[in-house]
Amino acid sequence: MRILSSIVILSGSLLAGSALTPASAADMTFERALNANKEPQNWLLYYGNYQGHRFSPLKEINTDNVKNLKLVFAVALGGLESGGRYAFGSLEGTPIVDGGVMYVTNGWGSVYAIDVSSGTRGMIKWKFDPGIDRAWAGDVACCGVDNRGVALWKDKVISIALDGRMFALNKATGEKVWERKIADPALGETITMAPLVVRDLAIVGPAGGEFGIRGFIDATDLNTGQQAWRTYTIPGPGEPGNDTWKDGEQHWKHGGGSVWETATYDPDTDTIFQGIGNPGADWDPQYRPGDNKWAESVLALNPSDGKIKWGFQYTPNDPFDFDEISEHPIIDAKVNGENRKLVIHAARNGFFYALDRTTGGFIFGKQYVDKLNWTTGLDPKTGLPANYDPKSDVQVYAPGTHGMRGEPLATVCPSHFGAKNWEPAAYNPTLNMLYIPSIEGCDGLETVAQKDFADQGGTLKPRDRFSGGSFKLTSRLYGSLKAVDPTTGDIKAAVRLDFPNYAGALATAGNLVFLGHADGSFIAYDAKTLNPAWSFSVGTGINAPAISYAVNGKQYVAVLAGSRQSPFTMQNDPSVKYSATTSMLFVFGL
Amino acid sequence: MRFAHKYSTKLALAVAMMAMAMCRAQAQEMQSAEAARMIEHGKDIFKTKVTCQFCHKWDGSGDQGYGGNATSLRKTQLTPAQVAATVKCGRPGTGMPFHDPFAYTDKRCYGVTRAELGNDMPPEPYAFLNSDEIDAVVKYLFAKVIGRGPSTYEECVEFWGSETRQCDPMKD
Repeated sequence: MRILSSIVILSGSLLAGSALTPASAADMTFERALNANKEPQNWLLYYGNYQGHRFSPLKEINTDNVKNLKLVFAVALGGLESGGRYAFGSLEGTPIVDGGVMYVTNGWGSVYAIDVSSGTRGMIKWKFDPGIDRAWAGDVACCGVDNRGVALWKDKVISIALDGRMFALNKATGEKVWERKIADPALGETITMAPLVVRDLAIVGPAGGEFGIRGFIDATDLNTGQQAWRTYTIPGPGEPGNDTWKDGEQHWKHGGGSVWETATYDPDTDTIFQGIGNPGADWDPQYRPGDNKWAESVLALNPSDGKIKWGFQYTPNDPFDFDEISEHPIIDAKVNGENRKLVIHAARNGFFYALDRTTGGFIFGKQYVDKLNWTTGLDPKTGLPANYDPKSDVQVYAPGTHGMRGEPLATVCPSHFGAKNWEPAAYNPTLNMLYIPSIEGCDGLETVAQKDFADQGGTLKPRDRFSGGSFKLTSRLYGSLKAVDPTTGDIKAAVRLDFPNYAGALATAGNLVFLGHADGSFIAYDAKTLNPAWSFSVGTGINAPAISYAVNGKQYVAVLAGSRQSPFTMQNDPSVKYSATTSMLFVFGL
Repeated sequence: MRFAHKYSTKLALAVAMMAMAMCRAQAQEMQSAEAARMIEHGKDIFKTKVTCQFCHKWDGSGDQGYGGNATSLRKTQLTPAQVAATVKCGRPGTGMPFHDPFAYTDKRCYGVTRAELGNDMPPEPYAFLNSDEIDAVVKYLFAKVIGRGPSTYEECVEFWGSETRQCDPMKD
């Protein structure tokens, strides 16, 4: 009897347990990805949708009740280990949520599956550690030990690690199914971006624009774990654009064009839009006369074969390090009374751009950053910087904003960190408003004649730095959040931030914009006025964008926190000088 | 008895001298163990706590890059006191950070304050260091970096350990 009752109690608790456990989530399909907004309880894609909007259709949390938002649970993660040039790994990832399970990464590429179905606790179901050689990979990470998240495909989680490998993991258990080496730290290549999965292909590219890499966009066939295609971002001989490298020394071979933020995807035209990073060497344009395509560009590619449909270059022969890797959202809107298929971009160079996504044609551009001194504007026909000189192979742009070899420190605004760096903007389609988090201010650049790599007769070895100069902060940087009408480029609302922003935004149908800050503030802004509507301090710097999801009909907002802020961007700010990093997931609910 | 006493005195003296010699050897051993520990401590600060290597590279040979044009420590002519002062106060007008939390709050560094330096104020460090830590870094630099020629594979392995591929490119 006693034994029997124990069995009854045990089986009862097992049943109760299974009732609490979410039914195993459906496999991730292309169909679900195309219709991600129809599953507002989940956050299935890096940007929430393929179009790069970072918009949650959930509105249980809204401008009326956000004042009651509170921390409901937190989860400590790992990844703080040192490696290479870094004392710790940072968190920059976007959580993915499917069926009450959240998938997050730390800077060294460990993946965590966290059961968030109870709404009161995050229980780590499994952890996958790629076991990377931290000194080896960390020594060629230019700017931090970062990983921006995973993608889902069928019953697998697709992840990457800093050392250039991609992994397919069993979604239920975390067990590795296969891995593929894509980028090679021996050449200065690392991977930090979340994969973009279109149909059965996972698309990524390497960081390493400060180490003399030749950038590429690479697709892995997820059915086989083998390469499907690779398209170099710096064209080789015979490819269109190779003639924009006029040094005569084949410097295109180390021409940069890194890729470190996820592309957007337009199902209508079956096109991906990939932002491309700086040319190498960063600050020595005399080393690489010519426009240096496709550095500082957006490339439109066919996701099935990697063929380039068109490219648009923002800053030819860039002397400022204005990487344009960040997101290229897709919207359909009326511009000057005409229906347009747009791809838009809040550029690191300080301008907002609207392009025709079927042709790559420039429609309009407008300055959105407070201070911009490197050009007087954009050519209204071509979109090229007004100070671009088509007759010159080395662009000076506005005199005094970039010191050529042997010239004194020059001051560029926005700073070389950009107006908007990698931190993603968010778009509210109902309000037709793009929320751009930025870095505001100026810094100094100094050029040093770049030395050659050994394979071109010089002394530099692979993995050596290759930036052709350096920067110096001459004044304190700050930040901003701006609401921009993407059909005009007009700034409709703006808020000045105490710190440069490296976190990225989330917009919700509750007419809120969530944004994390370097001092640990996590703030919800009214989407119409950008007045702060709610704030919570997590006590450590936030360098990651928030997401929103729901479990059992209740909405939550989640954000990763844990990044000590760079002294370069926090210079002379006493309020964060003792801030410490940690590695945490914070989840908020009403 | 007298002889025995004399003998025993000599013996005692010899024993005492031996004991002193042993003490000296032990003391020297302890001293060198202490010096080695301090050098190791300095390396840990250089490598991880304030990541001097971020800008100066692991071997101190200097670099161009996101840390700025960091000078070669292997070739520096500075004295230990000058290196210590540079770590403590940074280098105004350059990217070399200060590491004394009270630097430029008074005139302890080069006789100037933050306000007087203006835009030449050196950057904040990744972490602050006390004088013992600065001493340890200086000892590490003079033991393993300053005045040495180009770094070797063996030095690389000593710095990073043998569990990483980090030094493989130097094998050739």
